Amino acid sequence: MLTSNPFAELAVFLPPIAMQVYIILMIVAVVIGTVWDMLHKSSGQYFTQRQEKAKAAATTELSGADKASLAIRTIAVDVATAGEFCNVQRRISHVLMFYGFIFYLVMTIVMVFSYPTNATPTPAMIPLLWNIGVIMLLIGGYWFFLFLRVNVAKDGQAVFRLVPADLFIVTLLGSASFAFIWEIVQTTGNLAATKIVFGLYILFTTLLFGSVRWSKLAHMFFKPVVAFQRRVEEASGASSLPAPAPSSERS
Amino acid sequence: MGLFKSRKTVFVDSDVLVIGGGMAGCGATYESRYWGRDLKVVCVEKANIERSGAVAQGLYAINCYMGMQWGENQPEDHVRYARNDLMGLVREDLGYDMARHVDASVHLFEEWGLPMMTDPKTGRYQREGKWQIMIHGESYKPIVAEAARKAATEVYNRIMVTHLLMDKTKANRVAGAVGFNVRSGDFYVFRAKAVIVAAGGASNIYKPRSVGEGMGRTWYAPWSSASAYALPILVGAKMMQMENRIVLTRFKDGYGPVGAYFLHLKTYTENAYGNEYETTWYDSTKEIVGDYVDRHPVPTCLRNHAFLEEMKAGRGPIRMVTKEAFKDPHLETVGWENFLGMTIGQAVVWASQNIDPKHTNPELTTSEPYVMGSHATCSGAWSSGPEDYAPDEYQWGYNRMMTVDGLFGAGDTIGGTAHKFSSGSFAEGRIAAKAAVKYVNDLGKEVPQVSEDEYKNLEKVVFQPMENYAVGRNEIVAGTVSPSYLLPLHGLQRLEKIMDEYVGGISSHYTTNEPLLTRGLELLEMLKEDLDHLGAEDFHQLQRAWELQHRVLASESVTHHTMYRKETRWPGYYYRGDHPKLDDTDWHCFTLSRRNRESGEWEMEKAPVYHIVD
Amino acid sequence: MPTFVYMTSCDGCGECVDICPSDIMHIDPHHRRAYNIEPHFCWECYSCVKACPQNAIDVRGYSEFAPLGHSVRVLREEEKFTISWKIKFRDGREKNFVSPIRTTPWGSIKSASDYEAPSQEALNSQELAHEPDGLNIDELPALSRDQLKLGVV
Repeated sequence: MLTSNPFAELAVFLPPIAMQVYIILMIVAVVIGTVWDMLHKSSGQYFTQRQEKAKAAATTELSGADKASLAIRTIAVDVATAGEFCNVQRRISHVLMFYGFIFYLVMTIVMVFSYPTNATPTPAMIPLLWNIGVIMLLIGGYWFFLFLRVNVAKDGQAVFRLVPADLFIVTLLGSASFAFIWEIVQTTGNLAATKIVFGLYILFTTLLFGSVRWSKLAHMFFKPVVAFQRRVEEASGASSLPAPAPSSERS
Repeated sequence: MGLFKSRKTVFVDSDVLVIGGGMAGCGATYESRYWGRDLKVVCVEKANIERSGAVAQGLYAINCYMGMQWGENQPEDHVRYARNDLMGLVREDLGYDMARHVDASVHLFEEWGLPMMTDPKTGRYQREGKWQIMIHGESYKPIVAEAARKAATEVYNRIMVTHLLMDKTKANRVAGAVGFNVRSGDFYVFRAKAVIVAAGGASNIYKPRSVGEGMGRTWYAPWSSASAYALPILVGAKMMQMENRIVLTRFKDGYGPVGAYFLHLKTYTENAYGNEYETTWYDSTKEIVGDYVDRHPVPTCLRNHAFLEEMKAGRGPIRMVTKEAFKDPHLETVGWENFLGMTIGQAVVWASQNIDPKHTNPELTTSEPYVMGSHATCSGAWSSGPEDYAPDEYQWGYNRMMTVDGLFGAGDTIGGTAHKFSSGSFAEGRIAAKAAVKYVNDLGKEVPQVSEDEYKNLEKVVFQPMENYAVGRNEIVAGTVSPSYLLPLHGLQRLEKIMDEYVGGISSHYTTNEPLLTRGLELLEMLKEDLDHLGAEDFHQLQRAWELQHRVLASESVTHHTMYRKETRWPGYYYRGDHPKLDDTDWHCFTLSRRNRESGEWEMEKAPVYHIVD
Repeated sequence: MPTFVYMTSCDGCGECVDICPSDIMHIDPHHRRAYNIEPHFCWECYSCVKACPQNAIDVRGYSEFAPLGHSVRVLREEEKFTISWKIKFRDGREKNFVSPIRTTPWGSIKSASDYEAPSQEALNSQELAHEPDGLNIDELPALSRDQLKLGVV
């Protein structure tokens, strides 16, 4: 199961073009949602203003090479290893979800577009990575949802009391969980059950990508931009924070 | 964290229960462990002991240190100082007791890691004034909390104690307390052999000068919700000097501290026209208080009085002259760090208004009134004094035990011990703890028992505001206005207005009289009835609801005491318009009150004042 | 000076929720990040500001009396035993301060129970733990009963 392409089996009741169109629609939905969110909140204006203020407050001029190196650090630390999380458990769960999501997404696109039916046999590696991605996402995601969400862990909220901020994680877990369940159910050969579970998978996936305007999904794009801006501010002296103290002030 | 939120009842048993994890509570926890090695010592705090209490942001000075090791001061000197500052009325036995022990606590703080400033000439602690020494105290509270955490069997953070529990087997003896977890909403029943109340005094019982966001910038911490008073009052403990509220002269709006400025920077005040003003009011002050006006140093309240009179005469704003002192870069640093280590908000105010004391003399103001027990004021519980010398009227057994058996107090909770500040409160916590351990040992097998009926009933009472809200909320569409419940903030603002207008707040220049006080009690009575209809949306609001309950009860006590004392003892703190002078013939005494547990009636009496013979 | 939280810096760790003495730092249900729910109960004690590992919390002076454009920011570095402040006036002037916060390692306080257990005699005396040595004098001072008298002084 782990090494066979579940999307190829869909051909039994769904033409491959449907899935391909669906994916394109989801990509468009994310783009529209993000742009709509930015326009609605004027966040583009905010980030531009922020950058200008930082430039005005800068005490050191940064060269192109300086900025490039900061950008690389941002990608390598903040993005690649979720470096912005100070809490170790949250950092690990986020890394699991992040890479899990990437594998899950990318391999879905590869399978749906390059290996849409059994006529084009799928190399075992691809569905394997897809499954690894789903499992990573599920482990990181349920760990986060049940134990690590700060409103539950620190603010005394009941686990199953959902708040608007849960839109992203719930639809994400819904998408991944039903993807996994669909894959399993599909191998039993029960067509009715497969259709139902596949339907739920599509429902949650649509909610996930369609709700970008209201969910935290767009933070995937904003956070790295801001992380980079903050590194620039710190390096150029524009930060309003005091400089770190010299090593020895002990009296 | 529960999957389905249903309220649990958690039982916590201990030998010594310390309620409140501030300076006094941490001192009590530490000392309880020292004397009670095998005892179960529990400290319960409504916030997080790491930063709870009045010392949350740190302190820049320890205002109570004798310096006995260098012959700087003796305990009786401090007693005379406190007596003088409080116009003759302090518990001199308790004050001496605190003063003889406080140095050891300060030495412990240094040992634990509190950075003390040293005088380069003498190598001793850098004095700010006769009683005050200077520290880099940003982490004063975390350091002290570390000692308490190591000493306690268990520290319970985020549990608000709402009521004490009484022994069902023996009358007038405490058996524990109840409260609720501010995060999970679980109900807590503490069963203890001895209880030490080390909670906060009363801020936000009078309408403050700032009523919007600025309501939070109280001089004394906004989380001092008078639990120190309400908990003992409810179980019938006698209270003393609740009329002795304090008004502070501090920097405008931020209420930043002026001590280091006056004492170390040697600044002084002047009116709007650049003139000295205190001597203007000497004669009229003498009319009110007689020879007390000639005491040195001038009592705090009398300095306030001159300030107030000058303002009323239309010659404000009154400013502190800092321009000269701030020319010295060392003193400039001290001036700013004084705020950063203690009242950061004042630095924020000055930064926001472009006030640099080098170029501008900043404005001062008198604050709204506060009721607490550890500053230039000493409201609190009436307690037994030190066994080795306290007079018979002041002693009925264990040191710092109130008139309820097994109920001890320290810090703001205990009345009569003015000018303790942080170190003295910590020391008093230690004094109470040692006594509590002795009490526990003496109990033997005959230990107090809580009543299941009592705590089950209290559980309903404690969570009633949440039920009121949930049910009452159905009546209205949305918003804060409901005909059937009051939000805690509504009740708080009503309390503050009543106290301000009828019990001598800022709007009357701290003046009241019997007709006003009588009317105030009537309005307080209706407020008390309305408290049955508080509505709390969540556990945070429930905490606010109980803070309000404690504040209202303390305010009631303040009003009764203010009515009882028919004189103006502390002009500058408050005035009786109908008894405008100090009266040592009839009122050189303490006022005591006791609220009857069953009837809710208040019984007032006088208690004698003993002085150390000079 | 109530606190506020920078949206782009807060990662929702909850340290501020844990530390706030006023119980006013809570998690916003839309962003799952911290915010100040009751500025009028904020003492600007800066406990949350200091506790935030991301320096995501800042203070804007109380609106009733603090004009905009100021900044008082802090860096508390426990490992260096220091606290650093940067004050920016509304008119742009700046002041910087650094102070020590502790002279001993965190966690190093000797526990009360690590001392030799006190004797019954010590328990019966007026001395508190480590006294009289802890006072750095020979003997705990005391009054005698006849030194306290009624009357006006």
